[in-house]
Amino acid sequence: MAFAMRVKVPPNSATLQEARHQTFDFFRTACRSIPSIMDIYNLYDVVTPAQLRSTIAAEIRKNAHITNPKVIDMLLFKGMEELSNITEHAKQRHHIIGQYVVGNHGLVQDVATKDENISNFLKNFYKTNYF
Amino acid sequence: MASALRTAILGHLRVPVVANGSKLLTPLWTTSIRSMSSHDDHLEKTQVIDRILDIVKSFPKVDPSKVTPEVHFQKDLGLDSLDNVEIIMAIEEEFKLEIPDKEADKIDSCALAIEYVYNHPMAS
Repeated sequence: MAFAMRVKVPPNSATLQEARHQTFDFFRTACRSIPSIMDIYNLYDVVTPAQLRSTIAAEIRKNAHITNPKVIDMLLFKGMEELSNITEHAKQRHHIIGQYVVGNHGLVQDVATKDENISNFLKNFYKTNYF
Repeated sequence: MASALRTAILGHLRVPVVANGSKLLTPLWTTSIRSMSSHDDHLEKTQVIDRILDIVKSFPKVDPSKVTPEVHFQKDLGLDSLDNVEIIMAIEEEFKLEIPDKEADKIDSCALAIEYVYNHPMAS
């Protein structure tokens, strides 16, 4: 039901411009569903909507070098599929945290007040062996 | 017959009329504040500017010292088009708006964003 609501129909984009436009549309759709995602998986203490937006943008940017509109269409289709899975609660909280919150930093950054007093040394220590 | 009587009487009556040329007693500022109206909760321009600048400054790729109300996202701040869309989405979230795609494509700089939000009737 959620999938039906969000199916973008990208008729095969004829030009790179069209594919670009579809990408931005996808990004906007994803950003607009962030509040409901945070609600479903209870991510309020773990991440802020701004960080999720940056993560989504980073994922899109990983494929920014592609110039074939058909490949872009395929990537957008996969992206839409992933977004639908997430919004219809087919995934679970640890999937979201592992794939989209932790992925870039190596450790869950707590937004809640619990960890604010630990020292920088400890923070770096928890993050990695080499600092 | 009653109407003729009425006209005759009215023709002869004299009703004192006082032209109220004296100054109204209500002070001038009360006319600009309508306490029961729901139409006046429009945002102040300074508020809009401050909030938008905050959003742009807290964007991780932006150098906060370069942000002014006239700055252009791609030319001055060195962002790319995806970052542009992201900033617009952040503005949408902050002001609880929904900006249609055509308008969003045109918003390229802080000045345009401020103007759009200020003129939007639903901005809060």
